[in-house]
Amino acid sequence: MNAARPQPARTDTAPGDVGIEIRDVSHQYGGRGGQGGVTALDHITLHIRANEFHALLGPSGCGKSTLLYLIGGFVPVQSGVIETRRGVVTGPSPDRGIVFQNFALFPWKTVLQNVLYGLEKLGLPKKDREDRARHFIDLVHLSGFENAYPSQLSGGMQQRAAIARTLAVDPEILLMDEPFGALDAQTRRVMQEELRAIFERTRKTVVFVTHDVQEAVFLADRISIMSARPGRIQHILDVDMDRSRGDEITKRPEFVDLGEHIWGLVRDQAIAATRGAH
Amino acid sequence: MTRPASPAFTPARARGRAAPGPQAPSMLGAVWRRLTSDTVIQLAVIAVLLIAWETVTRLGLVHPFLLPRLSAVLERIYNNALNGKVFMDLGLTLYRAAAGFFIGVAVAIPLGVMMARNAGVRWFFDPLVSIGFPMPKISFLPIFILWFGIFDTSKIVMIAFSCFFPVVSATYAGTLGVDKWVIWSARSFGARESQVLREVVLPMALPQILTGIQIAVPVGLITTVVTEMLMGGPGIGGSMMAAGRFADSVGVFAGIVEIAVLGAIVVKGVERMRAYLLRWHAEARH
Repeated sequence: MNAARPQPARTDTAPGDVGIEIRDVSHQYGGRGGQGGVTALDHITLHIRANEFHALLGPSGCGKSTLLYLIGGFVPVQSGVIETRRGVVTGPSPDRGIVFQNFALFPWKTVLQNVLYGLEKLGLPKKDREDRARHFIDLVHLSGFENAYPSQLSGGMQQRAAIARTLAVDPEILLMDEPFGALDAQTRRVMQEELRAIFERTRKTVVFVTHDVQEAVFLADRISIMSARPGRIQHILDVDMDRSRGDEITKRPEFVDLGEHIWGLVRDQAIAATRGAH
Repeated sequence: MTRPASPAFTPARARGRAAPGPQAPSMLGAVWRRLTSDTVIQLAVIAVLLIAWETVTRLGLVHPFLLPRLSAVLERIYNNALNGKVFMDLGLTLYRAAAGFFIGVAVAIPLGVMMARNAGVRWFFDPLVSIGFPMPKISFLPIFILWFGIFDTSKIVMIAFSCFFPVVSATYAGTLGVDKWVIWSARSFGARESQVLREVVLPMALPQILTGIQIAVPVGLITTVVTEMLMGGPGIGGSMMAAGRFADSVGVFAGIVEIAVLGAIVVKGVERMRAYLLRWHAEARH
């Protein structure tokens, strides 16, 4: 350890700066004993840095969601190891929060009750829970809708509630499974900007699954490009851009160029995916 | 840090539904008006039928033994109310129906959930439920009389048995249909398996479970009256059979009217309960 070296202005203290370490992870669906099943993930090794916004980009069916569920601990790891700063992943844990494409809110609970659920499970005192829930509802701009049920809200608002519910328990790692995939284009754009702004303030380790090149370039610090099934990591790209001017960056030539470059990399995979090749 | 309202704020998909806030009262008003007008129409249809009944019998178009006057039937119910017979019959019938119903439901809901979540339980009970559901449950009555005697126990077991099937199938299907993502959300917050079951799976399956219950309630009432008719004794079914034996058609029709009113009240009550329990559900605002 080189203690004299000035550290970058990040809050993490972990050795090696690794947020999530994925070592030689393979995954099969169906079949028994590794025979006859569909290979969703094929020997994936990937180091996700602490406090980076990491996008997993790939065509539909490439196993990127599966990889996210493995990191979340929802699906058991069949071979290989996934490790975070808290140790080897063996199951779900509040330090790995997740946001799903279909929001997965508890429909019989109001927005406030949804956000309170995780805080109750943490065992926080009642007063703190309430304050904390309202703070995060405010953070996602849902103030005034605390007592609305999810079925009374638009898709964008439901996803805001789901993000508040996950952020409220302060997970170290935020997993996002195409969270804006079910939203209309305008809502999606607004949500992307706000998510990046929230990320700048909270600086969690974010793993963001998407098949949208623009979205990945706009949001992520690094992008892992996955191949069509069986899923492999084909390229890892750094997105090095000054983000201080918000949505301005989408107009800049380097943003457009990077998008074109990545599209060139994923185009063949996307075509392969639509033709069912593997 | 306040920002101007963004497009994502507009509840585009909620258009036409109740939005929380100032629109809610007028929306409630509209729902209330629609409900009341529905109720008025329903009551009017029943009133027309009753008037037709009274008119046809008063004009002497039907022999009073085949179809007694409505006024005579109501008079009988009134007299039976004065001497307490109505309340004893209705009370006993309702008690048996309720006891059987609750026992049936108390077994059916846990079993339905376990069938959906445990392969061993499913393998054992799925064929039994598949065979039992379409069977005429009343055919088991002689067996239940043999096992449980000729008094209330066998009747209640019979009723529980008939209420069990619609609820177990609905609970099983409803539990199977719960999204894995909602369960995963709960688990990501640290919910244990038993908490996931109680706090997530049951509420998510509740709309379907209530549908099963809404089928089981009338089935339970029907089974109660049929069982009483077959086994005799006090209760609406038994009283109707007794009246029939004495060629007392007014007494038979009095029983029919009583059970019709009781059934309507119970079924409406269950509907109200559903609307209250599912007030979070989109169906509450259609």
